[in-house]
Amino acid sequence: MRNNNKTTAAMLMTSLLLAACGGGDDVSNTPPPVGSALNAGAGSPTGAEGSCSATTAGVNWDALMTEVCPKLSDYNLFADATDPTAGPTRGGVSYDLSTALFSDYTSKYRFIFVPEGKTVSYNPSEVLDFPVGTVITKTFALPANTAMRDGEELVIETRLLINRADGWFALPYYWSSDSDATLTIAGKRLTGLTTINNQGQQITFDYAVPKAADCSSCHSIVPDLAGSGDEREQIFLPIGPKVRYLNNDHAYADGTVYNQLQYWAEGELLAGLPLNLQDVEEAPVFNDQVPVASLSASELNDAARAYLDINCAHCHRAGLTLPADYAGPAGSSGVQLEYNRNYADSPSKFGVCKEPIAGGKDGYPYDVIPGNPDDSYLLFRMTTLESRHKMPELARNTAHMEGTTLIRSWIDQLPTASCSPTP
Amino acid sequence: MRQKAKISKIFTISALASGLLLAGCGDDGEDGKDGKDGISGNAGQSVVVSTTSGFAITENAVFVAPDAANGDDITEALSLALFDIQEDALVVLPKGRFMVTEGIVVNSARGLTITGHGINETILDFSTSNGDDAFRFQGGNGITVRDFGVYEAPKNGIKTTNVNGIHIAYTATVWEGELEADNGAYGLYPLKSQNVLMENNYSYGSADAGIYVGQSENIVVRNNTANNNVAGIEIENSSMADVYNNIAVGNSGGILSFDLPGLEKAYGGNVRIFNNQVYANNADNVGAGVVGAVPPGTGVIVLAASGVEIYNNQITDNETTAVAITSYFLIDDDVSSYPVNYGATMQDGWSPTLKNVYLHNNTIARNGSNPRGDLLAQIIGGYTSVMNSSGMAQTFPAILYGGIGELLSNLGNQGIGGFNAIVGPDAAAAGVNYDPYGPGDLICANSNINGNPAPKYEEVNTGLVYPVDTANATFDGNGDPEAQLLIDQMVNNTYLNCVQPRLAPAKVNFRNNIYGCTGDDLAEAACAL
Repeated sequence: MRNNNKTTAAMLMTSLLLAACGGGDDVSNTPPPVGSALNAGAGSPTGAEGSCSATTAGVNWDALMTEVCPKLSDYNLFADATDPTAGPTRGGVSYDLSTALFSDYTSKYRFIFVPEGKTVSYNPSEVLDFPVGTVITKTFALPANTAMRDGEELVIETRLLINRADGWFALPYYWSSDSDATLTIAGKRLTGLTTINNQGQQITFDYAVPKAADCSSCHSIVPDLAGSGDEREQIFLPIGPKVRYLNNDHAYADGTVYNQLQYWAEGELLAGLPLNLQDVEEAPVFNDQVPVASLSASELNDAARAYLDINCAHCHRAGLTLPADYAGPAGSSGVQLEYNRNYADSPSKFGVCKEPIAGGKDGYPYDVIPGNPDDSYLLFRMTTLESRHKMPELARNTAHMEGTTLIRSWIDQLPTASCSPTP
Repeated sequence: MRQKAKISKIFTISALASGLLLAGCGDDGEDGKDGKDGISGNAGQSVVVSTTSGFAITENAVFVAPDAANGDDITEALSLALFDIQEDALVVLPKGRFMVTEGIVVNSARGLTITGHGINETILDFSTSNGDDAFRFQGGNGITVRDFGVYEAPKNGIKTTNVNGIHIAYTATVWEGELEADNGAYGLYPLKSQNVLMENNYSYGSADAGIYVGQSENIVVRNNTANNNVAGIEIENSSMADVYNNIAVGNSGGILSFDLPGLEKAYGGNVRIFNNQVYANNADNVGAGVVGAVPPGTGVIVLAASGVEIYNNQITDNETTAVAITSYFLIDDDVSSYPVNYGATMQDGWSPTLKNVYLHNNTIARNGSNPRGDLLAQIIGGYTSVMNSSGMAQTFPAILYGGIGELLSNLGNQGIGGFNAIVGPDAAAAGVNYDPYGPGDLICANSNINGNPAPKYEEVNTGLVYPVDTANATFDGNGDPEAQLLIDQMVNNTYLNCVQPRLAPAKVNFRNNIYGCTGDDLAEAACAL
């Protein structure tokens, strides 16, 4: 029931593969080949009932659309079925987010598969509008050393988001052996995983492959029920692929380094991208290498707001650009942390001088106390491992030192408020 | 919906055909009897066994880990059974005490019933869980949870968010042992839900609220027992709620009606609290946040909530006070900072003041013997010394009304009349304002019964911390109103001597049946009062 994955999971040396993508600046900005869509020849769902055992040249679209397959390889998403970190089947495109959910220091390998002949539609602030048939794969691998992410790593799990005719559907696959990942509806808890962090310290923690049912805890928006007869249901959505997290350069496997949105647009994968990228929202790059201490005040604020958005606002969101009368699963909470929320309009929405309502702990009188991060409940919740208090609720079994340093600095430099310590 | 049938190709949920096994457990059930209060089993299906509350478990049910032995970990079976569940499914938990080591999440279930064999017969022990909430139901319609106990949840017991139609019955959430800060948070916890029916449940040991309904509408909470929690039963930022025939005993605060700032549903209203037994709520308050401020020894507390009717309750033996009615200024008295700190939520209609709270025909006895709580320290000091309007040490008032919000409203622009500029158009149209209190806004108490025996009859009083009439107000050097700690007898009272119209009954529509005083309880005595 609780296998320690270390003995059985695939240990993949990906350094060779990734070395080609390593040097960002010295590669010229060569556009992708013109005239052929990125998903040309990728195929598409036929509309027929699929089969997990079908042999397909490309992606097994029909199985993706109708079947819950026991093995990841059944969907034929990767050229080498034992390696979900590279080499997507024809049509798959790798992408990265400029700031990402923490997820226990794992490296993430993301690919998007859009059926041939279909395009993604632009959305300025919300997740992009993906056509039916779209599949997103995200593989989580724990590096042996977070400062050397192209070094040795432990591939743990691959999650699929599939946009079926009746909406998005999520499936978790666990790399139970070197050769394949298996469906894990009930989740999997791995104990005693270790990595060496950027400060050179070895850290050890448990890792939870989420249950399939857990996906909705983050990946959904819920209706603000308008009355006794309102029977609207929650809507399942991807989180990361918003333009603000894609509007930056990405190193492709062929050595191309290019703005991801432009790459998609020129590759006929994305429609409606404004001609001028200056008009497109952009969240800064934040990762464990970013030196928080040397950020300017505005860079710090921007990085912190992006970090809070991608780590918290999938739940802590309400109003703004959502479909009307929907909110995140924690939209009813007093704290809302969307990237595009105006801080000055309502600092209390960011927890400033706000008493905890569902929760609270002695010694932490307000969620955020500008100038006093140590007594701010929000920072405590980001640091603690107690189930009663920890945030985010999922995908964090160790503290994110670099992320909490960022938020600590942000709280420190916020404008003084009525609950701030007196100077 | 999604490809529901497919999952069973891969996973054999240990279900079906287990009727024979379970038939042996039926000795304490009543075969064939429908669930209490009209919620029936699956018509046309043969009954395998009944729960201790009389709910019929039929042969078509999904039986989770039917062969599990006491102490077994049933997490995986439970997760599989509740993933992508069929519409109108009946899921049956096994009989005995079992370990669950992860939180259980149920998404968008429609017509689901999850039942154990009885509140004491099926116990799920989350003491070793790696998750947070024991159960979380997110989205969905017409969900019933009944006949089992959830023990030692790391965070909340049973949380439901954005569900239309949630019925929780004969269900326990328990944290055993002493009431301690690291017990779990809420016990039974419907949030942002519609049509909430909670009945015959038991909640023990929550470090927050045992039975809590937040930001919800159309709510009936009846026949529950809340014992040894920080808050027994709490209705927060919710509308159209009836709380009746419950027992709240041994909590820090028995029954709470709160409107707290900053929430998506900014304020509630039309909350009726009646025919409850609220006694000896004297537990030390180990809570945090706003609920942590509730003075131990409080029977009923109304905080910044308007449109609340409290009647025909037995409120006894609470050592601080029977009923406290207070604006949010008791929690945060920095009045001038409200526009900055609470401006957005005040725009949405939350108000620190409270209006139209009506307290009548309650039996109030033997409260106030040992008043305490940091929040009230100064007020207690005044009433229990000579520093109150009577000039004599008094038993702490059985009914305590703060009055400062009303006085500041009555003072117009010298008070908080300026807050009117903050109120958004929708909230203003709904009647939210900071005008001087009109007759319909008043806090009223009449026809309450003094249950104290002689010679202590004189000790049941009404206290007003601030005078509400501007003519009687006095001000300190800063121009702020001064507390006067007024006190008067509760019966034949001068203070709060007014009447308000009765509030409307709440109505729960669950699976197209109507519950509450205008539905299945039409003939219930409490509803006739």
